[in-house]
Amino acid sequence: MTRMTRIDTGLNRLIKLTLAVAFVGGAVGWGLPAAAGRVDEGQEFFEKQVRPILVTKCQGCHNAKFKSAGLDISSAEGFLHGGESGPLLSQENPEESRLLKVIGYESSLKMPPTGKLKDEEIAVLAAWVKMGAPWPGAAPAAAAAPRSKPGAVREFSEAEKNFWAFQGMQRPAPPEVKDARWARSPVDRFILQKLEAKGLAPAPPADRLTLLRRATYDLTGLPPTEQEMKDFVADNSPDAFGRVVERLLGSPRYGERWGRHWLDVARYADSTGNDEDHRYPHAWKYRDYVIDAFNRDLPYDQFVREQLAGDLLPGSAGEEVNRRGIIATGFLALGPKAIAQQDKKKMLYDVYDEQVDVTSKAFLGLTLACARCHDHKFDPLLAKDYYSMIAIFAGTRSFKDPDSHVSVVLEKPLVTAAEYDRYQAANRAHQEQVKRERIALDEILDAEKERVVRAEGPRLAEYLLAARRVYHDGAAAPGVARQAGLDEGHLAKWVEYLKPGERVRQHLLAWDNARPEQLSEAARGYQERFRERLAEWDGKMVKWRAQYAQALAEQAKAVPERPRFDAGEDRFFSDVYLEGGGPYVVTEKDQARLGAGDQERVKALEEELARLKKSAPPEPEMACAVEDGEPVAQKVFIRGDYNSHGEDAPKGFPLILARESRPASEKGNGEKGSGRLELAAWLTRPEHPLTARVMANRIWQWHFGEGLVRTPDNFGKMGERPTHPELLDFLARRFVESGWSVKAMHRLIMLSSAYQMATENPGAGPEADPENRLLTRFPRRRLSVEEMRDGLLAIDGSLDLTVGGTLQQGRGTDGENSGGRLSLNPEKLKRRTVYVPLRRANLPTLLNLFDFGDATTVAGRRQLTNVATQALFWLNSRFLTESSLKVSEALVADKNLDDAGRVRAAYRRILNREATPEEVDAGLKFVAGARRGGWQSLCRALMSSNDFVYLD
Amino acid sequence: MDGTNGILPELFPPVPFIPRVPREIGLTPMNYHVTERPLSRRAWLRAAGMGFGYLGLAGLLAEEARADHPLAPRAAHFEPKAKRVIFLFMHGGPSSIDTFDPKERLDRDHGKPLPIKRPLAFADGPVGPLMKSPWEFKPGGQSGIPVSDLFPHVRTCADDLCVIRSMVGEGVDHGAALLQTFTGTSTFIRPSLGSWVVYGLGTENQDLPGFVTIKPALSHGGAKNWSAAFLPGAYQGTAIGNAGLKVDDIKGEPIEYLANQRLSAEEQRYELDLLQNINRRHQALRRQDAQLEARIQAFELAFRMQAEAPAVFQVEKESAATQKLYGLDDPLTRDFGWQCLLARRLAENGVRYIQCTHSYKWDQHSELYNGHTKNAREVDKPIAGLLKDLKARGLLKDTLVVWAGEFGRTPVSEAGDGRDHNPYGYSIWMAGGGVKAGFVYGATDEIGYHAVEDRMHIHDFHATTLHLLGLDHEKLTYRYSGRDFRLTDVAGVVAKKIIA
Repeated sequence: MTRMTRIDTGLNRLIKLTLAVAFVGGAVGWGLPAAAGRVDEGQEFFEKQVRPILVTKCQGCHNAKFKSAGLDISSAEGFLHGGESGPLLSQENPEESRLLKVIGYESSLKMPPTGKLKDEEIAVLAAWVKMGAPWPGAAPAAAAAPRSKPGAVREFSEAEKNFWAFQGMQRPAPPEVKDARWARSPVDRFILQKLEAKGLAPAPPADRLTLLRRATYDLTGLPPTEQEMKDFVADNSPDAFGRVVERLLGSPRYGERWGRHWLDVARYADSTGNDEDHRYPHAWKYRDYVIDAFNRDLPYDQFVREQLAGDLLPGSAGEEVNRRGIIATGFLALGPKAIAQQDKKKMLYDVYDEQVDVTSKAFLGLTLACARCHDHKFDPLLAKDYYSMIAIFAGTRSFKDPDSHVSVVLEKPLVTAAEYDRYQAANRAHQEQVKRERIALDEILDAEKERVVRAEGPRLAEYLLAARRVYHDGAAAPGVARQAGLDEGHLAKWVEYLKPGERVRQHLLAWDNARPEQLSEAARGYQERFRERLAEWDGKMVKWRAQYAQALAEQAKAVPERPRFDAGEDRFFSDVYLEGGGPYVVTEKDQARLGAGDQERVKALEEELARLKKSAPPEPEMACAVEDGEPVAQKVFIRGDYNSHGEDAPKGFPLILARESRPASEKGNGEKGSGRLELAAWLTRPEHPLTARVMANRIWQWHFGEGLVRTPDNFGKMGERPTHPELLDFLARRFVESGWSVKAMHRLIMLSSAYQMATENPGAGPEADPENRLLTRFPRRRLSVEEMRDGLLAIDGSLDLTVGGTLQQGRGTDGENSGGRLSLNPEKLKRRTVYVPLRRANLPTLLNLFDFGDATTVAGRRQLTNVATQALFWLNSRFLTESSLKVSEALVADKNLDDAGRVRAAYRRILNREATPEEVDAGLKFVAGARRGGWQSLCRALMSSNDFVYLD
Repeated sequence: MDGTNGILPELFPPVPFIPRVPREIGLTPMNYHVTERPLSRRAWLRAAGMGFGYLGLAGLLAEEARADHPLAPRAAHFEPKAKRVIFLFMHGGPSSIDTFDPKERLDRDHGKPLPIKRPLAFADGPVGPLMKSPWEFKPGGQSGIPVSDLFPHVRTCADDLCVIRSMVGEGVDHGAALLQTFTGTSTFIRPSLGSWVVYGLGTENQDLPGFVTIKPALSHGGAKNWSAAFLPGAYQGTAIGNAGLKVDDIKGEPIEYLANQRLSAEEQRYELDLLQNINRRHQALRRQDAQLEARIQAFELAFRMQAEAPAVFQVEKESAATQKLYGLDDPLTRDFGWQCLLARRLAENGVRYIQCTHSYKWDQHSELYNGHTKNAREVDKPIAGLLKDLKARGLLKDTLVVWAGEFGRTPVSEAGDGRDHNPYGYSIWMAGGGVKAGFVYGATDEIGYHAVEDRMHIHDFHATTLHLLGLDHEKLTYRYSGRDFRLTDVAGVVAKKIIA
């Protein structure tokens, strides 16, 4: 109290001072030299009042050395210049100055960050700003100097312009090499040339079963069968391996493996992740589209176009709706989204940001999203480039209803508009019918409730007191009821409601805590408030009933909803009369209380409601997709803050890549169409320096474990340089010239000697090429989690090879701690891993354990780890126990095999190779020495071994 | 790692070893050249000494060491005050103005309109009037720190608390607030606080995970709240069940895959010996490959873990008195009591970062009185029990205990008798681990809506927590995607005033 008074007095004094000073200094304006006398007063005020605040509270960070947020207020010049977010002072309207907003804690930025200034201090600064912020020795001209605009087009340096990734693709000829025999493919010449230059020889060819295992896992994610092993070993023709590759490329399993690679890039998952983790109910259609695209070898340029703008492309002949194209835009639609974010504008711009991020990394190998707050730190990507791309997605809709409390994502019908309209009309009619039946039912129940409240309501206080005698004093209810002349059944309900239970009821505290002598008065109080509330409520009901009757009489399309009561307004009333299970409340469970006629009507209505629930019109097929929305006049947001607008950022592409073509490709602000089609067209130009290179590099990496550029999603300055730049360009050119055929790339790569090398090179040990950048050998790699799991299921014979579809229905999400929030457990399923639905917030343990990634950001390359908790899976999981048991049972059951034959069969089936005699002996010894379950243990050891888990 | 543990003899002849070629399929033998003792990767790096891009060799070697033993204990940047953290997370957002931040003005102006402009709210609908706390505040201990009647047991520990009344976050919805509390940001996927701590310090006990989260929430970011994100997977939090499960469902297998359901330890060792025989032979036929060796080691470590770890989870081994101290004898407090007692056992056994979660309870948009009363009853005694037990065992001085929700609640009512989310000024407390005891830091405005004095943004909280552990938040970085990342991004100020 005393403190308040002091502040008040202080404030008053300050306000007076402020007014006085403001009046005196009223004529001082920016850019005008102030008259000397006035300046003196202002300067004195500055020195005495203002400077101490600036020094102690601001200059710790905003000084010439640290310049936090680009702001230095240790000098007048710095102060007038302002920071990265703009000037601190508004010349036209000093009271609206940014400085005052920030120190007043009115804007999103609050300064000082450690605590608000004292009210007196704020008043001082406000007064000073109003005076025109006089600063002794300030050169007023400094204020008039125009600030350099953030994001202004800057000249690119020569180094930036000449950076390799921005140069057009070359047409390198495969170089001459000494060992022409080894170089069976042009790819090999590029590899061999570098090896020969270092005096190294490539590794010898892998043995045939190793190669078969490698190629089969590589293209299908599954092990070869015993028959395939036998066939390949028996095939001595020179194109035996070529035919294996063709067979594998023709298998539907191929798309399931290679589609999964792309799904990593597309950060695919089946839910929004982030806060609420709502399901994307149709995400699986995009996943199936991707698998199908690889299986049918959809040209990559078309694949890019469809994913960015499929909804805008014509469907195939005779198709009114481009189903496939709409589904393909799931690429943009299925990212993580903070749908519970209440700053909806921020939420939307975060979604556009995510779309820029996935698009630029996936197709361009550029981290354009780093230019959200400022020009890219390392690459010549401007904030304006970023916002020009944002403009495209800001004109694209990803939400059906972004503004609802929890935003609703867009679902697009895969049927014609007319058909969808018919569905919506039918659905509305259906909902209305449900509503009316429900109202009819509630009206019957309400009639009973109103009957009781008319009869017993006026004696509410008596019921309270009587009930207390029962639940508190332990009197017998029938006696109490008889004595007081109350209805015994109704009294029982009061007892039930009032007796203390788990729920702690604040609205009953006055009752529970009343001393005996206060009880009557308390009871009367409750009765009186109840009476008032009831009168209000009845008034509402009467009004509503009249409207309802009128709507029915007029055959209106929709009847009004029953009134609602905000329970928190009066929880006693709500509990007792409306929905808290209190004494007056009548629900369907209380039908027995109704008259015979009403009972029948209630039953009939219940049946009708149950029938209606089942007969809702079926929703047409839908997809999670995007569509064009309203065009947006996009600006550069200074420091990423959507409230701080910089220059215009009309739709367009990064200047460094589109130096000449930018104006032509640009669509002006506000122009119709999102620009996604133009973006797709620009990306898929055959001469685009990045699109083909980035994908060719991805394909190479998915075969070799490492790309020619080892940072597949970042071709920028902080990414790695290509180890074989000519090869990269050669592949990229070939890719485009083959009609962007991914399968043609597989053939080109897999039929090379490089692909068929062994993982050991006797002539060049690891020390000669520690990171295998020269490709002295084929890199050994660990199986991915999908290959492990699918491989084990294939080996034990239980893999379900059904293609496509979804394993999980449903919308929205589940209770906060419901197990439904978890992804389905792949250890309990038999379908291929690619078909296991992914809840972003809680990915399956198995996938987390084995480096699946987060399904939230572009992951062109998985980061593999090797930790003890993974070993626990191999040691103890039920999955492995079951799988090894199945294999061992099949071995034991095979009466054509002797025990040595069983060991050999286990090696063939699990490791896809023949056991050596030592291994057979060892296996036999082991099984014989086992206390029990020797065959199962043998199988599990083989399944857990490095021999299985690593691919040579 | 030499030899096996001897149940199964060496099955294969020692290296060097030339594989016999199965005649029936007529493969060409390969000439394997096996050096006597293959060079370690580090040795080649030393030998090669160049050609590793912009990373200096020393840095690379340090990274290598970390890659080989990601959880090995590492020296802090400077002398730490705390060696470990126990984070008690109150999911849903407990109200500060009803627990640790009394506001007289709310008593006075109960029912009056909010005197300031309402900041971004979570709730839809119009702003309600000011609502006083239904609980009484009383001073606790010598320090006299006021604690409301919601926490009578914790109040008896007031002299150990460092109450921070000026927390500030940005997330007005649960998901954003949890993600920021645990990872610093809700916009991007980033490593969690616990992951950073274990990345920075490693952990004392290699048989247990370094970062354990007990019964974590599946909602509001779910596993992203204990994920390692781009840090190596070894720094991921290990979940003990989840908030949707009952303690009895978790006890049998607290860590997934920890127990073999079928084999005895001896049988399993017999099988593991075969596996390691196969692995060693496989390795012997190949040039030195660090990943093969690492996986062999991982199996030995895992085998040891499964032998050692389960005992730590046997909370029922504690004395009846101790169990009672944590409220394990009362169904109301049993769940959180079990979590707290398990946390102490984990702390004792060298786990670096432990989180207990009371989920998802504290989100009283309506019926504040009912909800908060029940919630506090469930945690009050267990928390006080934990503090007292840690103190009695001499663990409190170097264990940082943190009690926090993802935000506080508004001084205005919602739906008549509830409160909305308030990330603009809320209270948490710390205890032990080098913070000032019996101390109150920071303040909110008169109604408890905004923090105004010694504001502690979540970034500052992270910086301070790392500081107490001897880590400089600006130096604890990880290079990813061409950039050095840190928990506090570009922000974070250590609140020096709370350090004892």
